Amino acid sequence: MTGLGDRFLGLGLLVLAVAYGWVAQQWPEPFGGAETVGPETFPTILAVVLAAGSIYLMVKPDPDAQWPLGRTALELVVSLVVLVVYALLLEPLGFVISTTLAVGLLSWRMGAPVRSAFLTGLSSAVVVFVLFNFGLSLNLPAGLLEVN
Amino acid sequence: METLGFLIEGFAVALTPYNLMFALFGAFAGTLIGCLPGLGPANGVAILIPLAFALGLPPETAMILLTSVYAGAMYGGRISSILLNIPGDEPAMMTCLDGYPMAQKGRAADALAISAIASFSGGLIGTIGLIMLAPVLAKFALSFGPAEYFALFLLAFATLGGITGKNPMKTVIAATLGIMISTVGIDISTGTQRYTFGVLELYEGIDFILAIVGLFAISELLFFVESRIGGGRKKMNVGKLTLTFKEILTTIPTQLRGGVLGFISGVLPGAGASLGSFISYTLEKQVLGKKGHFGEGDIRGVVAPEAGNNGASSGALVPMLTLGVPGSGTTAVLLAMLISLNITPGPLMFTQNADIVWGVIAALLIGNVLLLLLNIPLVGFFVRLLSVPPMYLLPIVTMVAFVGIYSISNSTFDLYFMVAFGAVGYFLRKLEVPVVPIILGLLLGPEMEKNLGHALVLSDGDWSVLWASTLAKSFWLVAGLSLVLPYVVGPMLRRRMNAAMKESPVSD
Repeated sequence: MTGLGDRFLGLGLLVLAVAYGWVAQQWPEPFGGAETVGPETFPTILAVVLAAGSIYLMVKPDPDAQWPLGRTALELVVSLVVLVVYALLLEPLGFVISTTLAVGLLSWRMGAPVRSAFLTGLSSAVVVFVLFNFGLSLNLPAGLLEVN
Repeated sequence: METLGFLIEGFAVALTPYNLMFALFGAFAGTLIGCLPGLGPANGVAILIPLAFALGLPPETAMILLTSVYAGAMYGGRISSILLNIPGDEPAMMTCLDGYPMAQKGRAADALAISAIASFSGGLIGTIGLIMLAPVLAKFALSFGPAEYFALFLLAFATLGGITGKNPMKTVIAATLGIMISTVGIDISTGTQRYTFGVLELYEGIDFILAIVGLFAISELLFFVESRIGGGRKKMNVGKLTLTFKEILTTIPTQLRGGVLGFISGVLPGAGASLGSFISYTLEKQVLGKKGHFGEGDIRGVVAPEAGNNGASSGALVPMLTLGVPGSGTTAVLLAMLISLNITPGPLMFTQNADIVWGVIAALLIGNVLLLLLNIPLVGFFVRLLSVPPMYLLPIVTMVAFVGIYSISNSTFDLYFMVAFGAVGYFLRKLEVPVVPIILGLLLGPEMEKNLGHALVLSDGDWSVLWASTLAKSFWLVAGLSLVLPYVVGPMLRRRMNAAMKESPVSD
């Protein structure tokens, strides 16, 4: 069966549309009585439009895209994990350390040699940190490197 | 004459040293963004928004910065078209046709110089058109009621895919998703909590800046990771400038035609810069048919599309500034900046925020001159940037995006949201669902709901008010046509654009 990607997307969106529309019907009537346009009117219209669109997708899907498999898919997941961990560690570790790690890891995984990848990470981190904290007086967390 | 007075006031705003500095920086950064691999104009402007916001720039300065970046990116896109036969962004596609053959004949320097000149005149013509047309359109738009606005927003979504768009239904879906995201938070008119699920951070809604940066920048990183084209390109030699003054003079008619056509297609909904450069190129080919040698490195084949796409980029600002309805990805991002500066775009902006509007317009004129001055001597520097490997560049760009988002609120909560938007953006782009309508939906959603509400209150709940007036009717009609036409005309136009690409003997 072709167009599997679009069919799955359509199914997912249909579920979303129904859930979104259903939630909208649960809101209590606003204080002061119901009017023609309540908080639920617009979302209800949107839910109907989205449902129609998703059904169309399932009935008439486009040809499938080439999805990454195996190693490439893994690389993508790794990149996403790096980004999430970067956000997680930004404050505890401080900007310079976490940025060196994140930019270094990403460059390395995109094909740069390890050394130059982490050097790029470190230098860009220091430049941006100095520029932001001293040049533009925006505070980036110093974290472990904080000197009081 | 009134316009001229405003324009002079605009120059007074744009020529202050502070704003001039930002215009220069923007023009420079924009060209950089345009020629760096993997960074389009929408991308570049998106990353700079949080920074402009976090720096607390005054509104006119922030807008001047971003419009200069926008104009600069259009200049920069041509460099890789000419030298590498790889368009830096979509509108620069047509420049490959004659630019690359010129470069192969050893006239790369000439091609770069003449395209800078053509970009300048295209931009200039476009800006003059903007100055003449915008106030008129703004005055006309004052007569719009809520029902007209509601229909106009629908029109904006329907035309966003453009007549060359592939699957209009996916545009509709994307726009709906965007509007749905915009309904999260406390409803302005009734105070009802919508889709907050009790999460405090969601009460104020989802910040569209997060969505923009995530959908553009983070998903771009993922695409590069997937395609593994991390390595740089080989260094290019530009050669010596042999362009004569006479040669420049002979291209003037081409520049004028290209600029005007580009401007018109920029203003029209659904056409945009890509079509602008395509039309200018094809027309030029027809006008000069036998006298030219198009596809083999004709200098006018470089001039026409460049004048066209720069004219179109100024033209695209007309609907954005006067109606608050952007027609392209980059202008949508500019609109996001305006909204986050608490400026309501639309006709009232011309009276209430005249200094900003005219400052921006004057900055466009100044920016064009700056760009011309920057581009001819610095072209060697920009050319060297082409060989910066994306494997270093994209992680750094991602980091800058993180920094920008983080400095707006100083909280990491927003960062997770941005990464999530990036992942969603990757999947949607993979499935050929365009992300620009999502952003436009996020931006226009609240306005759309407000206008719907007003229209229905005025009509006492009669829904037919939405298509009662002639103007509203014609908006609905054009919107409907724009959704149907791609099925009819789209395949044909796309085939012709592809055919034009293949005709050139050197394209690979």
